Amino acid sequence: MYDLVDYSVVDISKSEQDYQVIKQLLLQSDLDLDPQVTTFIVAKLNNNCIACAGLDHNIIKCVAIAPDYRGNQLNLTLIDYTMKYANDNGYFHLFLYTKPENIAFFKACGFYPIVEISDLVVLMENTPVGIKQYCKQLSQYQKAGNKIGSIVMNANPFTKGHQYLIEFAANQCDWVHVFVVNEDVSLFPFQVRLQLVKDGTKDIKNVTVHASSSYIISKATFPTYFLKDKSKIDYAYMGIDLLIFRNYIAPALNITHRFVGTEPHSKVTNAYNQAMKYWLEDDKVSLSSKITVIEVARKLEESNIISASLVRNSLALKNYEQVKKLVPSTTWNYISANLDKLNI
Amino acid sequence: MKIQKEAMAGTLESSDLLVKVMPNTGIEIVINSDVNKQFGDQIRAVVNNTLNELNLTDGLIIIDDKGALDCAIKARVQCAVLRGAEETELDWSKLL
Amino acid sequence: MKKLRRSMLFLPGANAAMLSTSFVYKPDSIMFDLEDAVSIKEKDSARLLVAQTLKLPVYKEHGIETVVRINALNTPFGLKDLEAVVRAGVDVVRLPMTNSAEDIHELEAHVERIEKECGRKVGSTKLMAAIESAQAVVNAVSIAKSSPRLIGIALAAFDYLVDMQTERGDGTELFYARCAVLHAARVAGIDAFDVVYSNVNDDEGFLKEVSLIKKLGYNGKSLINPRQIELLHNAYAPTASEVENAKKVVEAAEEGERKGLGVVSLNGKMIDAPIIARAQKIIELAKYSGVRKEI
Repeated sequence: MYDLVDYSVVDISKSEQDYQVIKQLLLQSDLDLDPQVTTFIVAKLNNNCIACAGLDHNIIKCVAIAPDYRGNQLNLTLIDYTMKYANDNGYFHLFLYTKPENIAFFKACGFYPIVEISDLVVLMENTPVGIKQYCKQLSQYQKAGNKIGSIVMNANPFTKGHQYLIEFAANQCDWVHVFVVNEDVSLFPFQVRLQLVKDGTKDIKNVTVHASSSYIISKATFPTYFLKDKSKIDYAYMGIDLLIFRNYIAPALNITHRFVGTEPHSKVTNAYNQAMKYWLEDDKVSLSSKITVIEVARKLEESNIISASLVRNSLALKNYEQVKKLVPSTTWNYISANLDKLNI
Repeated sequence: MKIQKEAMAGTLESSDLLVKVMPNTGIEIVINSDVNKQFGDQIRAVVNNTLNELNLTDGLIIIDDKGALDCAIKARVQCAVLRGAEETELDWSKLL
Repeated sequence: MKKLRRSMLFLPGANAAMLSTSFVYKPDSIMFDLEDAVSIKEKDSARLLVAQTLKLPVYKEHGIETVVRINALNTPFGLKDLEAVVRAGVDVVRLPMTNSAEDIHELEAHVERIEKECGRKVGSTKLMAAIESAQAVVNAVSIAKSSPRLIGIALAAFDYLVDMQTERGDGTELFYARCAVLHAARVAGIDAFDVVYSNVNDDEGFLKEVSLIKKLGYNGKSLINPRQIELLHNAYAPTASEVENAKKVVEAAEEGERKGLGVVSLNGKMIDAPIIARAQKIIELAKYSGVRKEI
């Protein structure tokens, strides 16, 4: 009846000892230590670490309980502490990654499955209505038509390449929905990126520009997208983001096609394009209708492929003439007026 | 009274419940209980009553029940709603 | 029979499971704690939980007195706690860190106002004062006599010992405070409660302390583990031979009354009124709690 177990928060990036203890605990549960997680809520009994739960912003992962202590109450209390800690740091809407075999337990903690990659991983959220409500909101923007296109872009910043891709899709489709990635980890802040996409497409009549959400290429659905070191990517996890798109987002807007630029340069984005074809088109991975993926060759500017990273590099080199050639006038107007803010 | 911001109260410990509230148009209640089949209607009745007494008109209420007594359900729902509605001046004659 | 207050079980006010099941251990009083056992962030939640729990009928059904330790009135929580628990029908409000009679008078004024506002009978909310500083020990008599609502005063060791620049040990450190608090209670005609024994795994040490405070004359003790309730009640129960002896005293007294004797004696010893009264108490207590089991 009395709490003999102590719960505390540790930062494993600050303590080699904590790091080793957590790593061992995860190993016993057949889990790898996710390099993005440094904050762990740990349960200790007589100073021995018997359970842990990792927290990366609003995402719970790396939850492990030492084999001898796998009883319900300890787990529940651990998750309870983790949720409270997240709340104290301003995160109410929480996501959780776990193995599919743990779904029942986390359901009992108030988490609801969003999508599952069989035998590998499931993404859950701590509300029964989260994704449903989001799709309900989205469906207000539903447009009639047989061919409804979609594009997801970070647009950091919006270039002539992005503009070309949207025009290409708009020419082929009855309507196109563009989602601008809603995480503030880019050089250009989200509100700016969104506005520049809107400004740069205002002459195209059959396009809606949406702010993306936690459910489309966010830290929750696609954590590795935001990693600096792109070589350490677990490609299997890409399925999570793409299945959410296929099972929830696309049906809400009757989306039939997804357009994407070819990726000769970025390894991660190219792998994402390949994964996209599998998770959006293959009949075996989802009961939802397939979404046709159309890769569009990238627009060139004097033999250079236009990309946002080329724009950022040119900005860094103060090669403003080059920048001006790569972006629409709407984007250039913003850049030229804000050169002081773009500390590169 | 309306839910203005996300808030929660309670715990996932046995004999307790966790109540999460968030802004919504109208009232929506989702109950997730270990004892749902047996007592689901009773839990819902307590929650409805408590919300009525608070005059709550808008909010999404999510309940993860771990076999709590009615008095704990009432207290946790009240607390989560008051936190979410950012109410500090309480009318105890309505709460008890 | 006067309300027994041997065991006062402390329960953290934020813990729903403990609050809802504690009555099964049958303590004489349950003290719901809104003060030290509740973190700042959970004060509002615990207050509501305790208030709703107080309305359960089980406490009355089991004859368990409900006590709530509110936060001090000079904190942002104290008055809110009081508003809630007086309205919820608590039997006794325990004020922490009572240093003077004025502290009780201030509390009393608030209690009376709330009673009037909510239609509760004025005077029906009883009070308890926690003595937890050197000043409070010295003022114990005036505190104990400060209000007819007071049912008892309780010594609390932690802050007192910090104040005294010493620490918890074999009991020597509490020697004066225990005697002072007990005397104050007896002067005022109210109950006296001893400190918590916090090492829940040391039954032997606990029973040794219980034996000491019982001999001193304390009514009972604050407890933090339900396991200690049975041990305490058993230690306070009269022994079989005490009960047997008490019965003989009462019989002899009745016999003497029938025969119209002025002075009664048993085994050559005179039996006077205090001895008879004590014997009657022992018999009553034995009926209530049974005789002491040897452990």
